[in-house]
Amino acid sequence: MTRALTAASLLLACAAPALAAVPADCWTMRKHGHRPEAEKCFDGLTQSSDAYFRAEGFWGLEEWQAANEQFRLATQAAASKAPYKVRWGLLLHERFNNAQAADLFHEALAKDPANADAYIGLATVSADGFDGKAMAYAAKAVELDPKLAKAHELMATLALENDDRFAAAAEADKALALESDALDAMAIHAALELIADKSPDAWFAKMNAINANYGEGYAAVAHHLELHYRYDDAVVYLRKAVAADPRLWSAHSALGIELMRLGKEDEPLKELELSYNNEYRDAATVNSLRLLDSYKNFDVLRDDTTVVKFNKQETALLRLYMQTELHTILATYEKKYKMHLDGQVQVEVYPDHEDFAVRTMGMPGLGALGVTFGQVVAMDSPSARKPGDFNWGATLWHEMSHVFIITATHGRVPRWFTEGLAVHEEGERSAEWANRVTPDVLVAIRDKKLLPVAKLDRGFVYPEYPSQVLVSYFQAGSICDFIKATWNEDKLLGMVHSYAVLKSTPDAIQENLGVTAEEFDKQFLLWIDKKYGAEAAHFDEWRKGLKGLVAASEAQQYDAVLAEGPAVVALNPEYVDDANAYELMAAADKAKNDSKAEAAALTLYMHQGGQSPAVLKRLAELEKTAGQDVEAAATLARINYIYPVKDEALHRELGDLLLAQKNYDGAIREDQAVIASHPLDQAGAAFHLAEAYMAAGQKDKAEESVLQALEVAPGYKPAQKLLLELNAKTN
Amino acid sequence: MRRALLLLASLLALQARAATYYVTVSGLGGEPDYEQRFAAEAKDLDKVFKAGGSAAQVYTLSGTQATAAQLKETLATVARSAKPEDDFVLILIGHGSFDNVEYKFNLVGPDLTGAEIAALCDRVPARRQLVVVATSASGGALAALERTGRGVIAATKSGTEKNAVVFGRYWVEALQDSAADTDKSDAVSAMEAFTYATKKTAAFYDSQKRIATEHAVFDDIGRGEAVREAGGGQGTLMSNFTVLRLGASQQAANDPARRALLAKKEELEQKIDMLKYQKAAMDPQDYRKQLTDALVELAKTQQELDK
Repeated sequence: MTRALTAASLLLACAAPALAAVPADCWTMRKHGHRPEAEKCFDGLTQSSDAYFRAEGFWGLEEWQAANEQFRLATQAAASKAPYKVRWGLLLHERFNNAQAADLFHEALAKDPANADAYIGLATVSADGFDGKAMAYAAKAVELDPKLAKAHELMATLALENDDRFAAAAEADKALALESDALDAMAIHAALELIADKSPDAWFAKMNAINANYGEGYAAVAHHLELHYRYDDAVVYLRKAVAADPRLWSAHSALGIELMRLGKEDEPLKELELSYNNEYRDAATVNSLRLLDSYKNFDVLRDDTTVVKFNKQETALLRLYMQTELHTILATYEKKYKMHLDGQVQVEVYPDHEDFAVRTMGMPGLGALGVTFGQVVAMDSPSARKPGDFNWGATLWHEMSHVFIITATHGRVPRWFTEGLAVHEEGERSAEWANRVTPDVLVAIRDKKLLPVAKLDRGFVYPEYPSQVLVSYFQAGSICDFIKATWNEDKLLGMVHSYAVLKSTPDAIQENLGVTAEEFDKQFLLWIDKKYGAEAAHFDEWRKGLKGLVAASEAQQYDAVLAEGPAVVALNPEYVDDANAYELMAAADKAKNDSKAEAAALTLYMHQGGQSPAVLKRLAELEKTAGQDVEAAATLARINYIYPVKDEALHRELGDLLLAQKNYDGAIREDQAVIASHPLDQAGAAFHLAEAYMAAGQKDKAEESVLQALEVAPGYKPAQKLLLELNAKTN
Repeated sequence: MRRALLLLASLLALQARAATYYVTVSGLGGEPDYEQRFAAEAKDLDKVFKAGGSAAQVYTLSGTQATAAQLKETLATVARSAKPEDDFVLILIGHGSFDNVEYKFNLVGPDLTGAEIAALCDRVPARRQLVVVATSASGGALAALERTGRGVIAATKSGTEKNAVVFGRYWVEALQDSAADTDKSDAVSAMEAFTYATKKTAAFYDSQKRIATEHAVFDDIGRGEAVREAGGGQGTLMSNFTVLRLGASQQAANDPARRALLAKKEELEQKIDMLKYQKAAMDPQDYRKQLTDALVELAKTQQELDK
């Protein structure tokens, strides 16, 4: 996201050489919509004997390279002015080079530590990545120069991105008090009106009175609507932006990307190409075009309620699991949320994480696994990650919860609540997928860093410490768990309805739970303390114990591992990530040939949410050896939600187990998965499938599959036998 | 084992089986781990080939026996014994080197160059030969070894892939795992074993999250660039080159009492091959009916043969 920090902003009051105009004059003309006059003015600047003036002139004429060159000349002298570096930095920011822009702002501050404009530049660059430092930089700019309207406009923007509407309005008012033509402050007010479902017309009328072609204003409004889940409305305002200023290439790009998020392809291509061809080539534009081009490699599967896009290489396999799960999710949520979605839900599954990442560019939060835009969900394919990195099933249930909640509230839902409910739903689907406390969360609990519920949104957008986004996901999910545990799950649906009618979080809590937000916070913290207080208090002890356990394991001191392991587990039973105590104890049990104890340790690991496919396969092997075939099948079935790809052996083994258990549908699915895994032994895979169909009494399909086996391998005797058997029954 | 459509197979099918000469060498490991691994692979192959019955002539060199002199002597013995109708398989496991001019197979004592190995193989009268060079830099040996009637497999696409290879491990596995027999013919062809080993090798690097440092290739037309997949004439010889017979097929071919049934089976197999070849141009329903009829008939014939 390139901020709506127009070139006119932060302009210097530099002494003019012998010329009719100074840069500020030209930019003011541009800001006020006098484009021809501004162009003439900029052209005049390019004739200046002063390199800095020439830089501003070329910048105004959109001759980026020439402007860059002139800035270089203007700043090469050791005694060059700090503000020149700031302006150069802003040019680079505008041309998608935030790294060098930040360097220039820092260089400017080295020359002049009190340069408020340099801090605005830093805040702007930081805000592009939703870096928590943005707020601090902007506040510093205001502190250094309280009369800088642009600083207040930026503060207002950041506040609204953080859903601090009161602060956003206050900062916008301050900007307007300082400069009556503060267009971006007006845009903030317009966005606030729209977010509150009120008419923004008065603010747009004011903006139009100053500059009827100020597309940036509409684009800024669209940006805030997008951050408030109002994707369709964002498109409306991006269209207004390009209508007001057809040369606003950034808005064309944003429109293309927004339309892509809504599942469109043709119009986005047109808009993005227009942007690209006019030299607006930021990473989002370029990568989005690349992604659109890659869609030729995707299959699109449609039915009445869903549209699913899989990479052609993965369609046959993933549809067996994901498409089925998607329908289960739709049925479950429709019943639970008492609503029906209009139209189809679109789910896009990307085997290349970079393709998925394109979909989340310019968005706050983790965006690491899946993202939802209205009724469009984009997510990583299991193959995009290392085995065990993520559970696609949990991700799909999570994202689909967003689909329902965003739809139910028409996007009028605070970030914390929709994320929290989605996390809660993962745990509702499976206790093993439930919200799990991580070391970062325990530290946050111990250090009392959880936020009041009314301000929890701020932990998602501009984190104040590195793990705050993760901690906020955990807290939000826990809040929903707490509401269910203390009241009941219907209260969560009640809150959805409250948000749909624009109630604030304190009001929604009061209305549905009968307590104030402050009282709710108190009760929640007590609940959390009861649940995790001991773990948080003994966090250092746990860490030290785990470290000792790892050392003992490495030294093959298995007795010590088994002696100390249970105490380490007791200090933090939910820890199942790298070097967890369960696996260390299981390894010690294995070394001592105690397969029963090994299986017990791994079973605990699994029930706590451990999802390493290799570990789960080991557990299944132990279960099989112990004659626990039902448990073994259930263990292997869990891997299908984690890493069903590139694992023909998993599907074959699970298929055999299910067939033996007379679970014919499951066996058929797994045998189909073997075929979809492109096995070397295609004939064998087709024959296995034929056997499963035969066992299920589906003779037509059995014949189809046995013929497929024999087509590959005509001399395959078991298949020949089955064919003759089928043939005899037919005749 | 894929059948050639030109009915070449029928020339061989009904005659008494010729012998297959297997020579396996595990070269110098340099380190204990490699020594053990290479020797174990050679030992496994020795066992597998010897289980092939009286038609298999098996020679295996490893450890201190893996010298240039012993290899020359062994190949000279094979050259004296083998007949043109016999098959000859040479498998080299270990390390190799390539200096941009010449490939060398690392042995105890002096190494042998690719050209020297080729010259030794040229003296073996067997018309159909298979040379598997499962060593680092083995792609550098291809040019020297290529010859009409000889399939040459290299674990690396060129002499510049110099890291130790795992291809050999999976080549051995291919001859031990019935899944390698993808056409269920009770025999593993050179092409089936190559496909199995390359797929497993790729999966090995994928599972280890390592960039693959070996890319196996083959040539069986005796000229030009080696390839990774069959096509354009490449692959026909290897598809018809049986490296290992499994189970019943070891005996069936030599039983005169079943000649008529074997002839019928061969005819049906050729018919099925022809149908598959014409599939794209046929009406799907007609194809299915004809295929089903032929497969049922083949199954019945096989049932008779198995009585």
